[in-house]
Amino acid sequence: MFKYILENAGNINWMAIAALITFFTIFILSAAVVLRKDKAFIRKMSMMPLEDSFSQPTETENRHEA
Amino acid sequence: MAQVEKFHYDNAIVRNFAYATMIWGLVGMLVGLIIALQLIFPQLNLGIAEVSYGRLRPLHTNAVIFAFVGNGIFTGVYYSLQRLLKARMFSKVLSNFHFWGWQAIIVSAAVTLPLGLTSSHEYAELEWPIDIAIALVWIAFGINMFGTLIKRRENHLYVAIWFYIATWVTVTVLHVGNNLELPVSAFKSYPVFAGVQDALIQWWYGHNAVAFFLTTPYLGLMYYFLPKAANRPVYSYKLSIIHFWALIFIYIWAGPHHLLYTSLPDWAQSLGTVFSVMLIAPSWGGMLNGLLTLRGAWDRVRQDPVLKFMVVAVTAYGMSTFEGPMLSVKSVNAISHFTDWTIGHVHIGALGWNGFLTFGMLYWLIPRLFNTKLHSEKLANTHFWIGTMGILFYAIPLYWAGWTQSLMWKEFTPDGFLKYGNFLETVTQILPMYAMRVVGGTLYLVGNIIMVYNLVKTVRSGSFISDEAAEAPALVSTHGVHKGEYWHRWVERRPVQMLLLATIAILIGGIIEIFPMVMIESNVPRIESVKPYTPLELAGRDMYIREGCLGCHSQMVRPFRSETERYGEYSKSGEYIYDRPFLWGSKRTGPDLQRVGGKYPDSWHFNHMLEPQSISPGSIMPPYPWMIRDELSLDILPKKIKALRTLGTPYPEGYEQIAIADAQKQAEQIAARLKKDGIELEGLEKKEIVAMIAYLQRLGTDIKPKAQATN
Ligand code: HEC
Repeated sequence: MFKYILENAGNINWMAIAALITFFTIFILSAAVVLRKDKAFIRKMSMMPLEDSFSQPTETENRHEA
Repeated sequence: MAQVEKFHYDNAIVRNFAYATMIWGLVGMLVGLIIALQLIFPQLNLGIAEVSYGRLRPLHTNAVIFAFVGNGIFTGVYYSLQRLLKARMFSKVLSNFHFWGWQAIIVSAAVTLPLGLTSSHEYAELEWPIDIAIALVWIAFGINMFGTLIKRRENHLYVAIWFYIATWVTVTVLHVGNNLELPVSAFKSYPVFAGVQDALIQWWYGHNAVAFFLTTPYLGLMYYFLPKAANRPVYSYKLSIIHFWALIFIYIWAGPHHLLYTSLPDWAQSLGTVFSVMLIAPSWGGMLNGLLTLRGAWDRVRQDPVLKFMVVAVTAYGMSTFEGPMLSVKSVNAISHFTDWTIGHVHIGALGWNGFLTFGMLYWLIPRLFNTKLHSEKLANTHFWIGTMGILFYAIPLYWAGWTQSLMWKEFTPDGFLKYGNFLETVTQILPMYAMRVVGGTLYLVGNIIMVYNLVKTVRSGSFISDEAAEAPALVSTHGVHKGEYWHRWVERRPVQMLLLATIAILIGGIIEIFPMVMIESNVPRIESVKPYTPLELAGRDMYIREGCLGCHSQMVRPFRSETERYGEYSKSGEYIYDRPFLWGSKRTGPDLQRVGGKYPDSWHFNHMLEPQSISPGSIMPPYPWMIRDELSLDILPKKIKALRTLGTPYPEGYEQIAIADAQKQAEQIAARLKKDGIELEGLEKKEIVAMIAYLQRLGTDIKPKAQATN
């Protein structure tokens, strides 16, 4: 299916290839880096919106207490 | 341990932007409703220039994008930024300058667009003085945002803020790039690039206005307000990081998918297609991340209108980001382009994604700003259902209309003739669908009115917390401690590095795609017989721009038999080298006009412009009586000729001195031909219509072998 789309896209010249390669390099690098991050940090980051002005306990915290 | 500091969040600026969002939402949608009605009742153009379809359409798009969604962005950003950074906005003065400046720009758009002052670049119509004002206000917003980032009390930047930063930098680049123009007068300018190059830059802009004004900031809002409303963290923070980088890197390349099968060189079209298809991955990653945040909380979704709105918004985001790549595949685009399918597509995005996320955010925010409860959950639920019905009644008929149009445009009889040789038949066929769309739009607007009522009641019942007290430990200097940390953590601590990386990510695409096109001459093969416009034709062309004819007419014959059969020879990039701006258009409510020159006698155009229905019974084209009434102003022609020569149009040196006389001469010839056909009118050769006819008769004739037969 992807091949079909690419063929249909017309002449792909070196620019398109270079672009694709750049993209995949960046993509794979960032994915690798992100996946290696430590859990506590990611958890802290994802809790950020819930920890500002309104101090409602979050559901995850509730669960911890229970 | 750092000392705990007490400070206040500025809620007043958030409230102001929220009010503006509500007001401009009503205005933008109302104008949309009016132009939708004009399409089924052309009499509603009232014969008044300022309210005719072509002039109101850009007002609608600008009001919805920049006034409604724009103020929505700022509402959410000013609220969430302060809280995520644990700091008050950097400068109250800049906040207020931003607010009032933005509203003033919107008001000036609402005045100038109906007056016909437009650059005709879609979604960048505003003329150069307003462009400068936009740049100033945008920079003020940037300084305010980065100032707040610098005095923050939180080390790390939550992913929503990355989306805000990417938005800011990309919109800056886009706005400057697409508005490089040479002023001719206070309200008229010509773009630096012409024809195909102008088209490429415009759609690099146009597409990324969708990407970086309607999408990335709203994704930031989604990553903040959805967890907040659901009271649980986002499903996967890791996924959100990948979502961010992949999205901003890929998005910037996708612009040329607006120009498939046009005269844009093949390689640029291919890039557009490939990257558009790749966009599915990060977009759906983001959508799933949003929806999965609600896993295990669907019982809450059923009760809470805020969550309901957000769920539909995120779903609509998923739908349009699936549809968009699909529409970028060449074989699908061959069917969809220039039809109402595109209009349906953008409204899933605008009404579903942007509209519903805004509503969800406002229902959540207003009670909190006013320390009270929402006036009526029941009304909010009513709004939800009416709004959802509105989206369906809007989108489904337009999809249907789009497919119908496309099939009819392309249908041949067994003998090899176009089945619907008369374009008008393909228009009247879809009028019932247009009527249904009006119903959908009305429902959506009614829902919006209910919301405003509900929120006004809420505001009345509460008491506003203008400065909300907060406290947080002061930021400890982290200098020198990033050894051994992953680069990303290091990056997000430093907004400036973040800004730079995001800039590089978006510039790569822009540079590889646009530079060769703009710089390498051979990308636009010259055609010997293509000559600059005469002064009178130029005047007519600028009227075509003023009236927004491109809101209904394309000037781009694609290389399909169904099009060459209907319109004539397909368009070549070399034909457009003097077109400043390019006028290819994006939708065909009326037929393509690229080859209309010589198709009809002058008098046909005279009568058609005066009263289209008298020539084409049942036509929905607006009448243009003022062109026959108003005198043509030629005084500005010398300046225009000079400006165009500066930009590269080969008018001979000194030509500007004879430009007016030249125009008068051509006008007299046309007036004489009209007279011969029995059109009697005092001072005919001085009227605007003559210039309009001159332009229309010139269109596409440079390479046309001989006048086409009628159809
Ligand atoms: C609301 C959409 C709309 C707008 C705005 C509009 N038109 Fe049209 N136009 C149509 C439709 C529909 C037709 C086909 C029916 C007809 O001939 O009137 C048409 C037909 C035409 C034709 C005849 C084309 C042919 O090949 O038969 C010309 C010329 C034309 N329009 C010029 C203009 C100009 C110039 C403007 C701007 C001043 C304009 N139109 C604005 C909808 C529109």
